[in-house]
Amino acid sequence: MDSYYDILSVLILLSSIILVSHKRIKSYIKTFRIQSALIALTAGIMGWNSLMEEGRFDVLVVCGIIVLLKVIYIPRLLHKTYGSVEYKVEKDFFLNIPLLILICCGLVVFVYFCVSNISGLNEDHINLQVVNSFSVILIGLFFMISRKWALGQMIGFLVIENGIFVTAMFSTHGMPFIVDIGIFIDMITAILIMGIMVMQINKQFDSININKLKNLKG
Amino acid sequence: MIVIANNLIQLLVILLLAPMVDGIIKKCKSLSQKRQGSPVLQMYYDLFKLIRKESVVSDTASWIYKATPYIVFSTAAVGALLVPISTLMPSVQFSGDIILLFSLLALGRFFMCLAALDTGSTFGGMGSSREALISSLIEPSILLSIFTIGLIADSTSIHQMMRAMTEVGNPFLHPVYILTFLAMLIIILAETSRIPVDDPATHLELTMVHEAMLLEYSGRHLALMEYGAAVKQLILMTLVANLFLPMDQLIPFAGEGAFILSIALYAVRVIFLSVVIAITEISTVKFRFFSIPNLAALSFILSFLGFLQYFVLGR
Repeated sequence: MDSYYDILSVLILLSSIILVSHKRIKSYIKTFRIQSALIALTAGIMGWNSLMEEGRFDVLVVCGIIVLLKVIYIPRLLHKTYGSVEYKVEKDFFLNIPLLILICCGLVVFVYFCVSNISGLNEDHINLQVVNSFSVILIGLFFMISRKWALGQMIGFLVIENGIFVTAMFSTHGMPFIVDIGIFIDMITAILIMGIMVMQINKQFDSININKLKNLKG
Repeated sequence: MIVIANNLIQLLVILLLAPMVDGIIKKCKSLSQKRQGSPVLQMYYDLFKLIRKESVVSDTASWIYKATPYIVFSTAAVGALLVPISTLMPSVQFSGDIILLFSLLALGRFFMCLAALDTGSTFGGMGSSREALISSLIEPSILLSIFTIGLIADSTSIHQMMRAMTEVGNPFLHPVYILTFLAMLIIILAETSRIPVDDPATHLELTMVHEAMLLEYSGRHLALMEYGAAVKQLILMTLVANLFLPMDQLIPFAGEGAFILSIALYAVRVIFLSVVIAITEISTVKFRFFSIPNLAALSFILSFLGFLQYFVLGR
């Protein structure tokens, strides 16, 4: 069973690196959807295990919520927001892609050296999964600061949230139900507020390029 | 005596199968476009036809131009001796032969670039500069992935590496192998000039890379160059088939029957891989030339992550 978790954690890390290497907003949304589906699969396997061994079914409920929220609802919301933006220029990053990917590579090495020093996590397999899922958080943060557009930054925020959720899941194998629900409700509120803000920025400045916010200076 | 026989079988299987792989990929592509397409054996007919024709050599060309087809073909043929088609067969093996294999292929490519520059045509120079860029971009990823496999197998001999991989069980349940496998797939596409990097079917001057270098060749020389490229493609596919899709551990009995069965399984895996390559070619478009560094960076990070996971897992 551990080898399945290893592979899923590696694939989740890989999907976040592929997200960094994409150029277009529609591919960001598609990759985010794939990453969420992988997370739902991980939660499904863990939920099935805990149902079989301890009779708890709350992780399975969390898995269902992930599928509804992150695989279906949020990508659709992002598509709708993107569709209503009028001024569509696709290129929106500060550095070129190979450099972005190499920096991500450096982030993974950094996390490896940080996490391998934490005692208590150092039992072979837990360690690998935590390294991979912790890197997802940092890569999401890096994705946020490397993109100019508000929509790219929303997706970066969602990737950070995915990373936190996966780290918690791999280190505890199922958190208390109330914590999970709390995180989801925070996230959905944040996404709704961001969606409204993107609309407002678009209306005010005719573009969602945040570089243009400099025009606010008097 | 047995060693010589084994090496002969090895060489014959790869040399005879190589043009067919090209035919299978072309057939898959034309079936996807609802065309009947050329027959699977078309490349054999083409090679026979070309070998019987005389080759025209430019007056300004030096000896490099005439020697290159023989160098390209012979480096590919020596490379074919180094990659065993079956782990049950002891062929040529010594430590470090995987590095020798890739340097032989690089030698062939080096002479190909020189010969394209030699005749002084504009397309040749363009093609060789692009080929040099692509190969230098993809080189780090090749080295990292073969060294990762070498670290796992504790050896740099291809035969030992393949033997170690048969003992792993299912390589696709192991994160290191899955990452290195994906990196190797990108490497094959870049090294054999397949679609995301270069389109093998086009002769459009703005986009061709490999074809631009062969543009001046004709007759016997052209046949050798194309045959060499096909053999090189099959060598890389053999490497991936035997390293990442090992099947020899499934054969329950020993002796000649096991040997024949393992060669048959090898043929099945090569056909499977060529269908995978054909599907990749069908479902992607050719990248802009300046987007190729992105693909190379992706391939590099796949092999690098594999390398890192090896250290994390510690085996």
